[in-house]
Amino acid sequence: MFNKRTDLTQLNTAVEQIRETLGKIIVGQKDTIDFLIAGLLADGHILLEGVPGVAKTLSAKLVAKSIDASFSRIQFTPDLMPSDVLGTSVFDPRNAAFEYRKGPIFGHIILVDEINRAPAKTQSALFEVMEERQITVDGHTYLMDEPFMVLATQNPIEQEGTYRLPEAQLDRFLFKIEVKYPSLEEETAILLNQHQHRLDDSLKAVQPVLSIDQVKSCRAIIKGLHVEPKLIEYVAKITHETRNNKSLYLGASPRASLAMVNAAKAFAAMQGRDFVTPEDIIKVATPVLTHRIMLTPDKEMEGLTTNDVIAQIIQKIEIPR
Amino acid sequence: MLWTISGFTAPAVQKPVQKQLRMDSSKLILRNFDAEKIKAYTEQTEFSYKETPPDQDSLWARFWRWFWNWFTGVLENKTSGTFIKYGIIVALAALVAYIIIKAMGLDLKIFTGKSKMVEIPYSESLENIHEINFSGELDKAIATGNYRLGVRLLYLHALKVMNDHQLINWQPEKTNQIYIEELTDPVKRKHFGELTTQFEYIWYGEFFINKESFAEVKKDFDTFNGRRT
Repeated sequence: MFNKRTDLTQLNTAVEQIRETLGKIIVGQKDTIDFLIAGLLADGHILLEGVPGVAKTLSAKLVAKSIDASFSRIQFTPDLMPSDVLGTSVFDPRNAAFEYRKGPIFGHIILVDEINRAPAKTQSALFEVMEERQITVDGHTYLMDEPFMVLATQNPIEQEGTYRLPEAQLDRFLFKIEVKYPSLEEETAILLNQHQHRLDDSLKAVQPVLSIDQVKSCRAIIKGLHVEPKLIEYVAKITHETRNNKSLYLGASPRASLAMVNAAKAFAAMQGRDFVTPEDIIKVATPVLTHRIMLTPDKEMEGLTTNDVIAQIIQKIEIPR
Repeated sequence: MLWTISGFTAPAVQKPVQKQLRMDSSKLILRNFDAEKIKAYTEQTEFSYKETPPDQDSLWARFWRWFWNWFTGVLENKTSGTFIKYGIIVALAALVAYIIIKAMGLDLKIFTGKSKMVEIPYSESLENIHEINFSGELDKAIATGNYRLGVRLLYLHALKVMNDHQLINWQPEKTNQIYIEELTDPVKRKHFGELTTQFEYIWYGEFFINKESFAEVKKDFDTFNGRRT
Protein backbone atom coordinates (compact mmCIF):
# COMPACT_ATOMS: atom_id res chain seq x y z
CA MET A 1 0.00 0.00 0.00
CA PHE A 2 2.80 2.43 0.86
CA ASN A 3 5.31 3.30 -1.82
CA LYS A 4 8.90 3.86 -0.74
CA ARG A 5 9.63 7.54 -0.35
CA THR A 6 13.16 7.14 0.95
CA ASP A 7 15.60 4.43 0.05
CA LEU A 8 16.92 3.10 3.34
CA THR A 9 18.36 -0.12 1.91
CA GLN A 10 21.98 0.99 2.05
CA LEU A 11 21.57 2.38 5.55
CA ASN A 12 19.87 -0.74 6.88
CA THR A 13 22.48 -3.00 5.29
CA ALA A 14 25.23 -0.92 6.90
CA VAL A 15 23.51 -1.08 10.30
CA GLU A 16 23.18 -4.86 10.05
CA GLN A 17 26.84 -5.18 9.08
CA ILE A 18 27.99 -3.07 12.04
CA ARG A 19 25.74 -5.05 14.40
CA GLU A 20 27.17 -8.27 13.04
CA THR A 21 30.77 -7.05 13.35
CA LEU A 22 30.31 -5.88 16.91
CA GLY A 23 28.22 -8.91 17.83
CA LYS A 24 31.12 -11.21 16.94
CA ILE A 25 33.23 -9.80 19.76
CA ILE A 26 30.82 -8.16 22.20
CA VAL A 27 28.41 -10.54 23.84
CA GLY A 28 25.02 -9.05 24.72
CA GLN A 29 24.97 -5.23 25.11
CA LYS A 30 22.47 -5.02 22.23
CA ASP A 31 21.09 -1.68 23.37
CA THR A 32 24.59 -0.25 23.77
CA ILE A 33 25.48 -1.31 20.23
CA ASP A 34 22.24 0.16 18.83
CA PHE A 35 22.80 3.47 20.60
CA LEU A 36 26.39 3.59 19.33
CA ILE A 37 25.16 3.08 15.77
CA ALA A 38 22.35 5.63 16.24
CA GLY A 39 24.86 8.16 17.57
CA LEU A 40 27.10 7.62 14.56
CA LEU A 41 24.18 8.07 12.14
CA ALA A 42 22.77 11.10 14.00
CA ASP A 43 26.13 12.91 13.97
CA GLY A 44 26.43 12.92 17.76
CA HIS A 45 29.06 12.28 20.38
CA ILE A 46 28.58 9.47 22.86
CA LEU A 47 29.51 9.08 26.51
CA LEU A 48 29.75 5.50 27.74
CA GLU A 49 29.52 5.12 31.49
CA GLY A 50 30.09 1.98 33.47
CA VAL A 51 32.24 0.28 36.03
CA PRO A 52 35.63 -0.99 34.86
CA GLY A 53 35.63 -4.13 32.72
CA VAL A 54 32.23 -3.99 31.02
CA ALA A 55 33.61 -3.46 27.48
CA LYS A 56 33.11 0.31 27.21
CA THR A 57 36.43 0.96 25.52
CA LEU A 58 36.16 -2.20 23.45
CA SER A 59 32.73 -1.16 22.14
CA ALA A 60 34.01 2.28 21.19
CA LYS A 61 37.10 0.81 19.48
CA LEU A 62 34.96 -1.63 17.52
CA VAL A 63 32.63 1.08 16.25
CA ALA A 64 35.66 3.05 15.15
CA LYS A 65 37.17 0.01 13.43
CA SER A 66 33.96 -0.75 11.59
CA ILE A 67 34.30 2.53 9.73
CA ASP A 68 37.05 3.15 7.23
CA ALA A 69 38.10 6.38 8.91
CA SER A 70 41.03 7.73 10.91
CA PHE A 71 40.94 6.83 14.56
CA SER A 72 42.82 8.29 17.48
CA ARG A 73 42.76 7.62 21.16
CA ILE A 74 43.41 10.03 24.00
CA GLN A 75 43.86 8.60 27.45
CA PHE A 76 42.69 11.27 29.87
CA THR A 77 44.84 11.56 32.98
CA PRO A 78 44.91 14.08 35.85
CA ASP A 79 48.01 15.83 34.44
CA LEU A 80 46.80 16.08 30.83
CA MET A 81 46.96 19.62 29.43
CA PRO A 82 44.68 21.20 26.79
CA SER A 83 47.63 21.45 24.39
CA ASP A 84 48.12 17.67 24.70
CA VAL A 85 44.67 17.31 23.18
CA LEU A 86 44.43 20.18 20.71
CA GLY A 87 48.07 20.50 19.66
CA THR A 88 50.56 23.28 20.15
CA SER A 89 52.72 25.78 18.28
CA VAL A 90 56.38 24.82 18.23
CA PHE A 91 59.20 27.15 17.21
CA ASP A 92 60.94 25.95 14.08
CA PRO A 93 64.50 27.44 14.08
CA ARG A 94 65.02 26.67 10.39
CA ASN A 95 62.17 28.97 9.36
CA ALA A 96 62.39 31.15 12.47
CA ALA A 97 58.63 30.80 12.89
CA PHE A 98 56.12 28.97 15.02
CA GLU A 99 54.61 25.91 13.47
CA TYR A 100 51.36 24.35 14.66
CA ARG A 101 51.56 20.66 15.50
CA LYS A 102 48.12 19.07 15.42
CA GLY A 103 47.03 17.19 18.52
CA PRO A 104 45.32 13.79 18.66
CA ILE A 105 41.90 15.44 18.47
CA PHE A 106 42.39 15.65 14.70
CA GLY A 107 40.75 12.55 13.35
CA HIS A 108 37.37 11.12 12.44
CA ILE A 109 36.61 8.89 15.38
CA ILE A 110 38.20 10.01 18.65
CA LEU A 111 38.18 7.71 21.62
CA VAL A 112 38.56 9.72 24.81
CA ASP A 113 39.19 7.05 27.39
CA GLU A 114 38.40 7.71 31.06
CA ILE A 115 37.34 11.27 30.25
CA ASN A 116 36.47 12.09 33.84
CA ARG A 117 40.02 11.52 35.09
CA ALA A 118 41.13 14.89 33.68
CA PRO A 119 40.32 18.14 35.52
CA ALA A 120 37.90 20.81 34.24
CA LYS A 121 40.69 22.81 32.53
CA THR A 122 41.41 19.97 30.10
CA GLN A 123 37.73 19.14 29.69
CA SER A 124 37.12 22.70 28.54
CA ALA A 125 39.47 22.15 25.61
CA LEU A 126 36.82 19.91 24.08
CA PHE A 127 33.96 22.45 24.17
CA GLU A 128 34.58 24.14 20.84
CA VAL A 129 35.56 21.06 18.90
CA MET A 130 32.59 18.99 20.10
CA GLU A 131 29.98 21.60 19.28
CA GLU A 132 31.42 23.49 16.30
CA ARG A 133 33.69 20.83 14.83
CA GLN A 134 36.60 23.25 14.83
CA ILE A 135 39.39 24.41 17.08
CA THR A 136 40.94 27.83 17.41
CA VAL A 137 44.61 28.01 18.34
CA ASP A 138 46.81 31.11 18.18
CA GLY A 139 44.15 32.98 16.24
CA HIS A 140 43.78 30.28 13.58
CA THR A 141 40.67 28.15 13.19
CA TYR A 142 41.08 24.57 12.07
CA LEU A 143 38.02 22.68 10.83
CA MET A 144 37.56 19.01 11.61
CA ASP A 145 37.00 16.51 8.84
CA GLU A 146 33.56 14.95 8.58
CA PRO A 147 32.59 12.60 10.14
CA PHE A 148 33.88 13.76 13.51
CA MET A 149 32.71 11.79 16.49
CA VAL A 150 33.92 11.71 20.10
CA LEU A 151 33.37 8.44 21.89
CA ALA A 152 34.19 8.96 25.53
CA THR A 153 34.22 6.48 28.36
CA GLN A 154 33.97 7.25 32.03
CA ASN A 155 33.66 5.47 35.31
CA PRO A 156 30.75 6.50 37.51
CA ILE A 157 31.64 9.65 39.46
CA GLU A 158 31.66 7.83 42.77
CA GLN A 159 34.81 5.98 41.66
CA GLU A 160 38.23 6.90 43.05
CA GLY A 161 40.08 9.75 41.29
CA THR A 162 37.27 10.93 39.05
CA TYR A 163 35.73 14.37 38.49
CA ARG A 164 32.21 15.28 37.45
CA LEU A 165 32.21 16.62 33.88
CA PRO A 166 31.15 20.26 33.42
CA GLU A 167 27.46 20.66 32.48
CA ALA A 168 28.43 22.50 29.29
CA GLN A 169 30.42 19.50 28.17
CA LEU A 170 27.82 16.93 29.17
CA ASP A 171 25.27 18.84 27.09
CA ARG A 172 27.47 18.26 24.03
CA PHE A 173 27.05 14.49 24.20
CA LEU A 174 24.09 13.16 22.25
CA PHE A 175 23.77 10.08 24.45
CA LYS A 176 25.01 8.90 27.78
CA ILE A 177 24.87 5.14 27.61
CA GLU A 178 25.02 3.27 30.88
CA VAL A 179 26.84 0.01 30.26
CA LYS A 180 25.59 -2.61 32.68
CA TYR A 181 27.09 -5.87 33.86
CA PRO A 182 26.35 -8.84 31.57
CA SER A 183 23.79 -11.44 32.62
CA LEU A 184 24.93 -14.85 33.85
CA GLU A 185 24.33 -16.39 30.41
CA GLU A 186 26.17 -13.55 28.70
CA GLU A 187 29.11 -13.81 31.08
CA THR A 188 29.32 -17.55 30.41
CA ALA A 189 29.26 -16.87 26.69
CA ILE A 190 32.05 -14.28 27.06
CA LEU A 191 34.21 -16.83 28.88
CA LEU A 192 33.46 -19.56 26.33
CA ASN A 193 34.31 -17.28 23.42
CA GLN A 194 37.41 -15.67 24.77
CA HIS A 195 39.22 -17.93 27.18
CA GLN A 196 41.20 -19.52 24.33
CA HIS A 197 41.60 -16.45 22.11
CA ARG A 198 43.55 -13.25 22.45
CA LEU A 199 41.28 -10.22 22.25
CA ASP A 200 43.89 -8.36 20.19
CA ASP A 201 43.69 -11.02 17.48
CA SER A 202 39.90 -10.70 17.35
CA LEU A 203 40.19 -6.93 17.07
CA LYS A 204 42.76 -7.16 14.29
CA ALA A 205 40.39 -9.35 12.33
CA VAL A 206 37.70 -6.65 12.30
CA GLN A 207 37.36 -5.07 8.87
CA PRO A 208 35.68 -1.73 8.08
CA VAL A 209 32.17 -2.16 6.72
CA LEU A 210 31.33 1.48 6.06
CA SER A 211 33.26 4.14 4.17
CA ILE A 212 33.36 7.83 5.08
CA ASP A 213 31.17 8.65 2.09
CA GLN A 214 28.61 6.06 3.17
CA VAL A 215 28.50 7.55 6.66
CA LYS A 216 27.97 11.02 5.16
CA SER A 217 25.27 9.69 2.86
CA CYS A 218 23.44 7.91 5.73
CA ARG A 219 23.58 11.09 7.82
CA ALA A 220 22.09 13.11 4.97
CA ILE A 221 19.23 10.63 4.61
CA ILE A 222 18.49 10.76 8.33
CA LYS A 223 18.44 14.56 8.31
CA GLY A 224 15.64 14.45 5.76
CA LEU A 225 13.35 12.04 7.61
CA HIS A 226 9.81 13.10 8.39
CA VAL A 227 8.66 14.16 11.88
CA GLU A 228 4.99 14.93 12.34
CA PRO A 229 4.44 18.37 13.98
CA LYS A 230 2.57 16.86 16.94
CA LEU A 231 5.63 14.75 17.68
CA ILE A 232 7.84 17.83 17.63
CA GLU A 233 5.44 19.31 20.18
CA TYR A 234 5.68 16.08 22.19
CA VAL A 235 9.49 16.41 22.35
CA ALA A 236 9.16 20.06 23.39
CA LYS A 237 6.72 19.11 26.16
CA ILE A 238 9.15 16.52 27.55
CA THR A 239 12.04 19.00 27.55
CA HIS A 240 9.89 21.79 28.93
CA GLU A 241 8.75 19.61 31.80
CA THR A 242 12.35 18.97 32.84
CA ARG A 243 12.68 22.73 33.41
CA ASN A 244 9.57 22.95 35.62
CA ASN A 245 9.88 19.68 37.46
CA LYS A 246 10.27 20.12 41.21
CA SER A 247 12.61 17.16 41.48
CA LEU A 248 15.10 18.80 39.13
CA TYR A 249 17.60 21.54 39.83
CA LEU A 250 18.74 21.83 36.20
CA GLY A 251 16.49 21.15 33.23
CA ALA A 252 17.38 20.18 29.68
CA SER A 253 18.46 22.73 27.06
CA PRO A 254 17.01 23.32 23.58
CA ARG A 255 20.06 21.41 22.35
CA ALA A 256 18.56 18.41 24.17
CA SER A 257 15.30 18.79 22.20
CA LEU A 258 17.21 18.85 18.93
CA ALA A 259 19.25 15.86 20.04
CA MET A 260 16.08 13.95 20.87
CA VAL A 261 14.59 14.61 17.44
CA ASN A 262 17.82 13.68 15.61
CA ALA A 263 18.31 10.54 17.66
CA ALA A 264 14.67 9.50 17.15
CA LYS A 265 15.16 9.92 13.40
CA ALA A 266 18.22 7.68 13.50
CA PHE A 267 16.27 5.01 15.38
CA ALA A 268 13.35 5.29 12.94
CA ALA A 269 15.78 4.76 10.04
CA MET A 270 17.32 1.78 11.79
CA GLN A 271 13.80 0.28 11.95
CA GLY A 272 13.38 0.85 8.21
CA ARG A 273 10.98 3.78 8.56
CA ASP A 274 11.38 7.22 7.06
CA PHE A 275 9.25 8.83 9.75
CA VAL A 276 9.38 9.06 13.52
CA THR A 277 6.87 7.51 15.92
CA PRO A 278 6.35 8.26 19.63
CA GLU A 279 8.14 4.99 20.44
CA ASP A 280 11.33 6.31 18.82
CA ILE A 281 11.18 9.42 20.99
CA ILE A 282 10.56 7.43 24.16
CA LYS A 283 13.41 5.06 23.27
CA VAL A 284 15.94 7.91 23.06
CA ALA A 285 14.56 10.18 25.79
CA THR A 286 16.48 8.63 28.70
CA PRO A 287 19.98 8.43 27.12
CA VAL A 288 19.53 11.93 25.65
CA LEU A 289 18.31 13.59 28.85
CA THR A 290 19.87 11.67 31.74
CA HIS A 291 23.22 13.52 31.70
CA ARG A 292 21.70 16.91 30.89
CA ILE A 293 19.50 17.25 33.95
CA MET A 294 20.38 17.52 37.65
CA LEU A 295 18.37 16.43 40.66
CA THR A 296 17.73 18.73 43.60
CA PRO A 297 19.92 17.80 46.58
CA ASP A 298 16.99 16.52 48.65
CA LYS A 299 15.82 14.23 45.83
CA GLU A 300 19.36 12.98 45.40
CA MET A 301 19.47 12.16 49.11
CA GLU A 302 16.16 10.33 48.80
CA GLY A 303 17.84 8.02 46.30
CA LEU A 304 15.89 9.20 43.26
CA THR A 305 17.76 9.05 39.93
CA THR A 306 17.49 11.19 36.82
CA ASN A 307 16.24 8.10 34.97
CA ASP A 308 13.35 7.80 37.47
CA VAL A 309 12.33 11.41 36.88
CA ILE A 310 12.51 11.02 33.09
CA ALA A 311 10.32 7.91 33.35
CA GLN A 312 7.80 9.84 35.50
CA ILE A 313 7.70 12.67 32.98
CA ILE A 314 7.14 10.33 30.03
CA GLN A 315 4.41 8.46 31.89
CA LYS A 316 2.47 11.67 32.44
CA ILE A 317 2.57 13.20 28.97
CA GLU A 318 -0.10 12.15 26.54
CA ILE A 319 1.06 10.34 23.41
CA PRO A 320 0.05 12.38 20.35
CA ARG A 321 -2.25 10.14 18.40
CA MET B 1 45.20 19.08 130.83
CA LEU B 2 42.88 16.11 130.58
CA TRP B 3 40.07 18.30 131.78
CA THR B 4 40.76 20.79 129.04
CA ILE B 5 40.65 18.10 126.33
CA SER B 6 37.51 16.50 127.67
CA GLY B 7 36.03 19.99 127.97
CA PHE B 8 36.61 20.55 124.24
CA THR B 9 35.51 17.17 123.03
CA ALA B 10 32.34 16.68 125.13
CA PRO B 11 29.15 17.26 123.16
CA ALA B 12 27.28 20.43 124.03
CA VAL B 13 24.10 19.87 125.90
CA GLN B 14 21.26 22.04 124.62
CA LYS B 15 18.37 23.07 126.71
CA PRO B 16 14.93 22.60 125.07
CA VAL B 17 13.42 25.90 123.97
CA GLN B 18 9.77 26.34 124.72
CA LYS B 19 7.95 28.13 121.84
CA GLN B 20 4.57 29.57 122.52
CA LEU B 21 2.07 31.10 120.10
CA ARG B 22 0.96 34.50 121.07
CA MET B 23 -2.62 35.50 120.56
CA ASP B 24 -3.24 38.69 118.57
CA SER B 25 -5.52 40.56 120.79
CA SER B 26 -5.53 43.83 118.82
CA LYS B 27 -8.88 45.07 117.72
CA LEU B 28 -9.82 45.11 114.02
CA ILE B 29 -11.93 47.80 112.59
CA LEU B 30 -13.86 46.86 109.48
CA ARG B 31 -13.87 49.67 106.95
CA ASN B 32 -16.18 49.89 103.95
CA PHE B 33 -16.08 52.00 100.83
CA ASP B 34 -18.34 54.88 100.96
CA ALA B 35 -21.20 53.93 98.65
CA GLU B 36 -22.07 57.51 97.91
CA LYS B 37 -18.55 58.36 96.90
CA ILE B 38 -18.40 55.32 94.60
CA LYS B 39 -21.62 56.34 93.03
CA ALA B 40 -20.30 59.85 92.54
CA TYR B 41 -17.19 58.51 90.83
CA THR B 42 -19.09 56.15 88.51
CA GLU B 43 -21.15 59.06 87.31
CA GLN B 44 -18.01 60.83 86.14
CA THR B 45 -17.18 60.15 82.44
CA GLU B 46 -13.44 59.89 83.19
CA PHE B 47 -14.06 56.67 85.10
CA SER B 48 -16.30 55.09 82.50
CA TYR B 49 -14.36 52.39 80.57
CA LYS B 50 -17.23 51.10 78.48
CA GLU B 51 -17.03 51.84 74.77
CA THR B 52 -20.15 53.42 73.56
CA PRO B 53 -20.56 52.77 69.84
CA PRO B 54 -21.14 55.82 67.77
CA ASP B 55 -24.60 55.80 66.27
CA GLN B 56 -23.38 56.36 62.69
CA ASP B 57 -21.26 53.14 62.58
CA SER B 58 -21.90 50.82 59.63
CA LEU B 59 -23.21 47.29 59.98
CA TRP B 60 -19.76 45.92 59.05
CA ALA B 61 -18.03 48.02 61.75
CA ARG B 62 -20.60 46.95 64.31
CA PHE B 63 -20.07 43.32 63.37
CA TRP B 64 -16.29 43.62 63.94
CA ARG B 65 -16.82 45.40 67.22
CA TRP B 66 -19.11 42.59 68.32
CA PHE B 67 -16.57 40.02 67.12
CA TRP B 68 -13.67 41.55 69.01
CA ASN B 69 -15.78 41.97 72.16
CA TRP B 70 -16.72 38.32 71.93
CA PHE B 71 -13.14 37.26 71.18
CA THR B 72 -11.75 39.25 74.12
CA GLY B 73 -14.39 37.69 76.33
CA VAL B 74 -13.38 34.20 75.20
CA LEU B 75 -9.69 34.94 75.78
CA GLU B 76 -10.40 36.28 79.25
CA ASN B 77 -12.18 33.08 80.12
CA LYS B 78 -9.73 30.82 82.01
CA THR B 79 -10.51 27.49 80.30
CA SER B 80 -11.29 28.47 76.73
CA GLY B 81 -8.78 31.36 76.80
CA THR B 82 -5.80 29.10 77.58
CA PHE B 83 -6.89 26.60 74.93
CA ILE B 84 -7.24 29.29 72.25
CA LYS B 85 -3.91 30.92 73.17
CA TYR B 86 -2.02 27.65 72.74
CA GLY B 87 -3.99 26.93 69.58
CA ILE B 88 -2.90 30.25 68.08
CA ILE B 89 0.74 29.61 69.05
CA VAL B 90 0.67 26.15 67.41
CA ALA B 91 -1.00 27.53 64.27
CA LEU B 92 1.57 30.33 63.98
CA ALA B 93 4.46 27.89 64.47
CA ALA B 94 3.00 25.61 61.78
CA LEU B 95 2.63 28.58 59.42
CA VAL B 96 6.25 29.65 59.97
CA ALA B 97 7.46 26.07 59.41
CA TYR B 98 5.38 25.81 56.23
CA ILE B 99 6.78 29.09 54.87
CA ILE B 100 10.36 27.93 55.60
CA ILE B 101 9.77 24.55 53.90
CA LYS B 102 8.23 26.22 50.86
CA ALA B 103 10.98 28.85 50.69
CA MET B 104 13.64 26.10 50.71
CA GLY B 105 11.74 24.23 48.01
CA LEU B 106 11.54 21.04 50.06
CA ASP B 107 9.06 18.32 49.29
CA LEU B 108 6.52 18.14 52.13
CA LYS B 109 6.53 14.37 51.90
CA ILE B 110 10.25 14.22 52.61
CA PHE B 111 9.52 12.81 56.06
CA THR B 112 7.54 9.90 54.71
CA GLY B 113 10.56 8.80 52.68
CA LYS B 114 8.61 8.52 49.46
CA SER B 115 8.72 11.04 46.66
CA LYS B 116 5.49 12.58 45.48
CA MET B 117 4.54 12.10 41.87
CA VAL B 118 5.70 14.74 39.44
CA GLU B 119 3.03 17.28 38.60
CA ILE B 120 2.64 17.73 34.88
CA PRO B 121 0.87 20.74 33.42
CA TYR B 122 -0.14 18.73 30.33
CA SER B 123 -2.84 16.73 32.05
CA GLU B 124 -5.58 17.75 29.69
CA SER B 125 -6.35 15.09 27.14
CA LEU B 126 -6.25 16.10 23.50
CA GLU B 127 -9.28 13.98 22.87
CA ASN B 128 -11.13 11.55 25.04
CA ILE B 129 -11.96 8.48 22.97
CA HIS B 130 -15.06 7.92 25.08
CA GLU B 131 -16.51 11.28 24.07
CA ILE B 132 -15.87 11.25 20.33
CA ASN B 133 -18.87 10.72 18.07
CA PHE B 134 -16.97 8.33 15.80
CA SER B 135 -19.63 7.71 13.14
CA GLY B 136 -20.42 11.41 12.77
CA GLU B 137 -16.76 12.48 12.70
CA LEU B 138 -15.86 9.68 10.28
CA ASP B 139 -18.67 10.69 7.91
CA LYS B 140 -17.40 14.27 8.01
CA ALA B 141 -13.83 13.20 7.31
CA ILE B 142 -14.90 11.03 4.35
CA ALA B 143 -17.17 13.77 2.97
CA THR B 144 -14.29 16.28 3.01
CA GLY B 145 -11.84 13.74 1.56
CA ASN B 146 -9.67 13.85 4.71
CA TYR B 147 -8.84 10.15 4.63
CA ARG B 148 -5.81 10.60 6.87
CA LEU B 149 -8.07 11.86 9.65
CA GLY B 150 -10.46 9.03 8.80
CA VAL B 151 -7.76 6.42 9.49
CA ARG B 152 -6.94 8.13 12.75
CA LEU B 153 -10.60 7.98 13.82
CA LEU B 154 -10.77 4.31 12.83
CA TYR B 155 -7.71 3.59 14.97
CA LEU B 156 -9.03 5.50 17.99
CA HIS B 157 -12.36 3.71 17.59
CA ALA B 158 -10.59 0.34 17.57
CA LEU B 159 -8.86 1.34 20.81
CA LYS B 160 -12.20 2.32 22.34
CA VAL B 161 -13.84 -0.96 21.30
CA MET B 162 -10.95 -2.97 22.75
CA ASN B 163 -11.08 -0.95 25.97
CA ASP B 164 -14.86 -1.45 26.23
CA HIS B 165 -14.32 -5.19 25.90
CA GLN B 166 -11.53 -5.00 28.50
CA LEU B 167 -8.97 -6.34 26.06
CA ILE B 168 -6.73 -3.35 26.76
CA ASN B 169 -6.56 -0.73 29.49
CA TRP B 170 -6.67 2.57 27.60
CA GLN B 171 -4.52 5.37 28.99
CA PRO B 172 -3.56 8.45 26.96
CA GLU B 173 0.14 8.10 27.82
CA LYS B 174 0.48 4.50 26.61
CA THR B 175 2.13 3.81 23.29
CA ASN B 176 0.62 1.74 20.49
CA GLN B 177 3.19 -0.98 21.12
CA ILE B 178 1.98 -1.31 24.72
CA TYR B 179 -1.59 -1.89 23.50
CA ILE B 180 -0.36 -4.56 21.10
CA GLU B 181 1.44 -6.29 23.97
CA GLU B 182 -1.67 -6.09 26.17
CA LEU B 183 -3.63 -8.26 23.73
CA THR B 184 -3.37 -11.86 24.91
CA ASP B 185 -4.92 -13.54 21.84
CA PRO B 186 -2.06 -13.99 19.30
CA VAL B 187 -4.41 -13.70 16.29
CA LYS B 188 -5.86 -10.40 17.48
CA ARG B 189 -2.41 -9.17 18.45
CA LYS B 190 -1.05 -9.87 14.97
CA HIS B 191 -4.04 -8.25 13.29
CA PHE B 192 -3.91 -5.19 15.52
CA GLY B 193 -0.16 -4.96 14.93
CA GLU B 194 -0.82 -4.71 11.19
CA LEU B 195 -3.50 -2.07 11.72
CA THR B 196 -1.10 -0.13 13.94
CA THR B 197 1.54 -0.17 11.20
CA GLN B 198 -1.04 1.17 8.71
CA PHE B 199 -2.12 3.87 11.15
CA GLU B 200 1.49 4.92 11.88
CA TYR B 201 2.44 5.15 8.22
CA ILE B 202 -0.63 7.25 7.43
CA TRP B 203 -0.80 9.37 10.60
CA TYR B 204 2.82 9.85 11.69
CA GLY B 205 4.39 9.21 8.29
CA GLU B 206 1.79 11.30 6.44
CA PHE B 207 1.71 8.81 3.57
CA PHE B 208 -0.84 9.71 0.95
CA ILE B 209 -4.09 7.75 1.07
CA ASN B 210 -6.83 7.94 -1.54
CA LYS B 211 -10.47 6.87 -1.49
CA GLU B 212 -9.73 3.31 -2.68
CA SER B 213 -6.94 2.75 -0.17
CA PHE B 214 -9.09 4.16 2.59
CA ALA B 215 -11.89 1.75 1.71
CA GLU B 216 -9.41 -1.13 2.08
CA VAL B 217 -8.16 0.16 5.42
CA LYS B 218 -11.70 0.69 6.69
CA LYS B 219 -12.66 -2.83 5.69
CA ASP B 220 -9.69 -4.14 7.60
CA PHE B 221 -10.66 -2.17 10.72
CA ASP B 222 -14.28 -3.34 10.43
CA THR B 223 -13.12 -6.95 10.23
CA PHE B 224 -10.97 -6.43 13.32
CA ASN B 225 -13.79 -4.80 15.30
CA GLY B 226 -16.26 -7.49 14.17
CA ARG B 227 -13.91 -10.25 15.29
CA ARG B 228 -14.06 -8.99 18.83
CA THR B 229 -17.82 -9.22 19.36
